Amino acid sequence: MFHWLEKNPFFFAVAVFVVIAFAGLVEILPNFAQASRPIVGAKPYSTLELTGRLVYIKNSCNACHSQLIRPFKSETDRYGHYSTSGEYAYDRPFLWGSKRTGPDLMRVGNYRTTDWHENHMRNPAEVVPGSIMPAYTWMFTNVADVDTAYAEQLTIQKLFGVPYNAELPMADGSKATVALADTLDGARASALEEAKLIAADMKDQGVKDAVAAGQVPEIVALIAYLNRLK
Amino acid sequence: MNKTVLAAIAVIVAMLGATYLAVGTAGGIGGDGGLVNKLAVLGAVVLVIVTTFVVTKYVRQMQNDTASGKLADENWDGIGEYKNELPFGWAVIFLGSIVWAIWYFLAGYPVNSYSQIGEYNKEVTVHDVKFNEQYKNMDDETLKEMGGSIFIVQCAPCHGLQADGLGGKAADLHERISAESVKHVLMNGSSNNLLGTSMPMPDRNGLLNTNTNALITDAEIDAVSKYVAGGLKATEGADVFAGACAACHGADGKGMEMVAPNIAEMSPAMIDMVLNHGKKGAMGTMPAFTNLTEVQHKAVDAYVSSLSKK
Amino acid sequence: MENRPLEYDYTVAKLFMYNTIFVGIVGMLVGVILAWQMAFPGVNTFLGVNLAEYTNFGRLRPLHTDSVIYGFVLSGVWSSWYYIGQRVLKVSMAESKFLMFVGKAHFWIYMAASIVIVISLLFGITSSKEYSEFEWPLDAGIVIIWVLWGISIFGLIGIRREKSLYISIWYFIATFLAVAMLHIFNNAEVPTWLIAPGVGSWYHSVSMYAGTNDALVQWWFGHNAVAFVLTTPIIAMIYYFLPKESGQAVYSYKLSLLAFWGLMFVYLWAGGHHLLFSTVPDWMQTMGSVFSVVLILPSWGSAINMLLTMKGEWQQVAASPLIKFMIMASTFYMFSTLEGPIQAIKSVNALAHFTDWIVGHVHDGALGWVGFMVIAAMFHMAPRIFKREIYSKSLMGTQFWIQTLGVILYFTSMWIAGITQGMMWRAHDEFGNLAYSFIDTVAVLHPYFTIRAVGGTLYLVGMFMFAYNMYKTMTSSRVVEESELQNATPMGA
Ligand code: HEC
Ligand code: HEC
Ligand code: HEC
Ligand code: HEM
Ligand code: HEM
Ligand SMILES: [Ca+2]
Ligand SMILES: [Ca+2]
Ligand SMILES: [Cu+2]
Repeated sequence: MFHWLEKNPFFFAVAVFVVIAFAGLVEILPNFAQASRPIVGAKPYSTLELTGRLVYIKNSCNACHSQLIRPFKSETDRYGHYSTSGEYAYDRPFLWGSKRTGPDLMRVGNYRTTDWHENHMRNPAEVVPGSIMPAYTWMFTNVADVDTAYAEQLTIQKLFGVPYNAELPMADGSKATVALADTLDGARASALEEAKLIAADMKDQGVKDAVAAGQVPEIVALIAYLNRLK
Repeated sequence: MNKTVLAAIAVIVAMLGATYLAVGTAGGIGGDGGLVNKLAVLGAVVLVIVTTFVVTKYVRQMQNDTASGKLADENWDGIGEYKNELPFGWAVIFLGSIVWAIWYFLAGYPVNSYSQIGEYNKEVTVHDVKFNEQYKNMDDETLKEMGGSIFIVQCAPCHGLQADGLGGKAADLHERISAESVKHVLMNGSSNNLLGTSMPMPDRNGLLNTNTNALITDAEIDAVSKYVAGGLKATEGADVFAGACAACHGADGKGMEMVAPNIAEMSPAMIDMVLNHGKKGAMGTMPAFTNLTEVQHKAVDAYVSSLSKK
Repeated sequence: MENRPLEYDYTVAKLFMYNTIFVGIVGMLVGVILAWQMAFPGVNTFLGVNLAEYTNFGRLRPLHTDSVIYGFVLSGVWSSWYYIGQRVLKVSMAESKFLMFVGKAHFWIYMAASIVIVISLLFGITSSKEYSEFEWPLDAGIVIIWVLWGISIFGLIGIRREKSLYISIWYFIATFLAVAMLHIFNNAEVPTWLIAPGVGSWYHSVSMYAGTNDALVQWWFGHNAVAFVLTTPIIAMIYYFLPKESGQAVYSYKLSLLAFWGLMFVYLWAGGHHLLFSTVPDWMQTMGSVFSVVLILPSWGSAINMLLTMKGEWQQVAASPLIKFMIMASTFYMFSTLEGPIQAIKSVNALAHFTDWIVGHVHDGALGWVGFMVIAAMFHMAPRIFKREIYSKSLMGTQFWIQTLGVILYFTSMWIAGITQGMMWRAHDEFGNLAYSFIDTVAVLHPYFTIRAVGGTLYLVGMFMFAYNMYKTMTSSRVVEESELQNATPMGA
């Protein structure tokens, strides 16, 4: 049979394709619907948080940082509760990473704060002596891309039914709503409101001035995202 | 002995030496790393030995054997192909691995009866039982030592290994409080749950100096800030303190239950409040540490309060 | 007609060869920079603080992986395809104007896309998915490139004179089909521009999958991208170049056959080993582990077949640096395909995942197996394409030893670093608290990061020697006759 296949390229190719496609069907499909169900307490990203997530991706923080806490005592001691599938329901793309040159960040919002991030991102080695993380000075002046984040929010709301402007159950029994503006201007304004809260806890005068002038520096968006990781 | 075999042995010895070194640096293969550490090292060892052994075997065949076999009819750009049988060992191990895989799924390790979360829960329970037993009654020294070990991992990233606050980025834990921090509190008030309730500290607009019967002034704020930061020992600022603060914080600054916290010295109770609720002040914000256990809290409280006692 | 030697047309093979050498150097230079950045973070600003946005580790890392994998390796693969394809199918590209056009279009569109990719990665335009960072316009470009290659493969097969497909062709076909499938599914994404036209950047897109599902598809892709870019086409190459260079017949057809179909079947199941202890269901993880172990055998099958092809030919191995490259490649192939399965065992992965041991595994495959095989292929083809002998055999020999030393330094240092770090992360002190803060586990790695950087630099030095040797071969070494080009490659001193 194999000899015959080797003389008949078309059937050879079909045979190869069948053999390689088979595994994908069996392995990937069965769990698809279940894994995309959000856990109680999961919230979609706000405009500013999503903007920060784009900054995270733009700078490939995921090259050094994971966002996946494995169920080992050594990891839950260091980073907090192990990850569960439903927590990632609003993560497009997922950002688990595959290398921990730096620590996991899945719940970094629980144990680091705005001012710490500000100091650390400007000069990691000054906060953590011996750190090999690069300094991200340009984030203090680059203006973040709020518009693209808003476009992404509209897309996921429309296509994937991400529940913006809807009451969501939280773990403690309360309800929470993540607002999504109707217009681009509205989105920019709400991102700016969030940015003001962050900037108030920061010390960099340039950043404060920029926010006061209606701009969102990348660092502010990024910190909003990092604080949200819980 | 043949040069190839010598080279193979050299490779094996070098890699095993390197592994030994790695294990040594990381604190040894035993301890609580347990099975995982052992298996990883075993894997590393097997990897080097098997690869080197097998490749050496074939290199010896290159050196000593000759090619033979029946050639296939086809020939591609001058490349022929022997119709040799499968290498016996390879075929047997391949078959064996398939049988093993099937067994693994169906019997050895039935796919639906293993859960990594179950395994985790077991790991944690076993650990908790053991440690609760072992550290039920700790003396102060042990408590402090344990607190120090937690501090290095959980607190040092902000407060620094020396707990000196890294040049004002977080609180210097060797002293109760800095002058800037006191001033910040006086200017802005404070509502950090330091008493375990939401009782706030008023800002300057709520601070009446009974000596002058007027709201506290800029100069008085400066003076009393230095006074408090200095441990309430100086003479300058003492009158302001007595007039404006002592009513709540007590004449000695050691606080009053349900009224105001101890600002004269670090107390375990105050530290515990910070751990439970976090703290926002002049330097920035400290997060709450609710993930630590009660024993761990006690340990950290003991360690941190010991820092400022010279 | 049948007996007249064909005039093969190597125009396209030649173009891809130039690019292999060029991108090989650029991509590995970036790798060397990354390695030094991890040892000495000051290197993040090596072009000054103002350019650090474009030269920091995070920005450069995807540039490294994508340029070596899709630049250096794929160019090497395609150069080999446009060479081997004609020869084992016994047809010349010159016989079909159409296929010649397709080949050239394949190359030039690929070059254009490569330039856009480099620029976009430097600007931080990435979807974050490892080895699949490109945004949708580039994904579409990649489809075009891939289809052109497919036309070239099946076009050439369509007009072949040799009825039966040689093993190398099997592997090229598998590469083509698998990558096509993987690329399409992993890049299922919606441009935001479709839903919100004019808002934000037009090239941005959102993945069709969320969270765990996204991870599952990504690592089904990621693992098999390794399989079908860094493995199957390289096997295609060694099955041609080693027997050809040595003049020996392939040891066993049966072994070729079983190893091929075994590899096809087993590889696709093993992707779960990238997701061990994650939130994908336990049974999928178990499947990934088990199939990884089974995968040792089909992988070793090809390697053993190659080693046995050299049975009794030690004098050739000893004499020819070119054959040394290929024997060493097989050895590293065996090493990394045993290492991978060991790392795929759950308990071992618990320690090894996220550490530098994985990076070590990557590079003993990438440098020792893939890199060496691509280099060997170029050395074998150059004299036949340019009708000149290899400029310097001794330079090639020196390159071989320098690069071998480089690989050894790389993987040994990462092996130690990984095991050390993995154990330190897990260590608890006598009180049951974590024994090390994270930065402790970074600081201990400094010496190993430095050794790795030295090893990588040595490998890069070897790449420069390679480029120089090839340049001289193309331009000024001794011209050779067709008769000198049967088996062993002619080399100058
Ligand atoms: C070269 C690798 C590297 C890159 C790239 C990198 N980091 Fe880090 N990161 C580290 C290392 C190493 C540490 C641990 C030492 C320290 O805290 O500085 C760290 C620590 C951190 C921490 C502290 C976490 C903790 O638990 O203490 C945060 C937050 C962080 N990084 C965020 C980021 C963000 C955001 C980016 C991208 C914009 C980024 N990092 C890029 C290596 C990196
Ligand atoms: C009305 C009662 C009251 C008066 C008067 C008062 N305090 Fe307080 N003080 C508090 C309370 C309550 C807190 C705790 C607030 C919290 O939980 O954040 C506090 C907290 C503080 C703190 C912060 C301790 C820390 O670790 O952050 C400082 C410093 C302080 N007081 C200084 C003073 C000084 C100096 C004066 C006089 C000028 C003064 N207080 C007067 C009630 C008072
Ligand atoms: C993310 C950074 C961060 C971490 C982690 C952190 N702290 Fe703090 N901590 C701070 C900052 C900032 C302050 C100062 C707040 C202020 O300005 O009053 C502070 C203040 C304190 C204070 C109050 C000092 C005083 O006199 O008012 C105590 C006590 C303290 N930290 C203990 C700890 C302990 C114990 C840990 C670890 C279990 C810890 N901290 C972890 C940032 C941190
Ligand atoms: C039998 C064959 C192989 C198996 C079973 C295997 C297994 C593995 C495993 C278990 C990991 C680590 C996953 C993790 O914990 O993060 C890994 C990573 C990797 N392997 Fe292999 N491997 C094999 C062969 C190869 C070969 C030949 C190469 C070629 C270079 C290769 C390239 C890679 C790469 C690039 C990664 C890194 C993926 C990432 O970015 O995380 N592997 N492999
Ligand atoms: C001079 C040679 C090279 C050097 C110095 C080098 C260095 C590096 C460094 C420093 C990293 C980052 C590791 C980390 O994040 O911890 C890396 C990643 C990587 N490199 Fe290389 N590299 C070289 C050649 C190559 C080649 C030739 C290939 C492929 C053919 C390759 C494929 C990869 C891959 C796939 C990764 C990602 C690994 C992962 O995510 O696990 N590299 N390289
Ligand atoms: Ca990776
Ligand atoms: Ca894409
Ligand atoms: Cu894999």
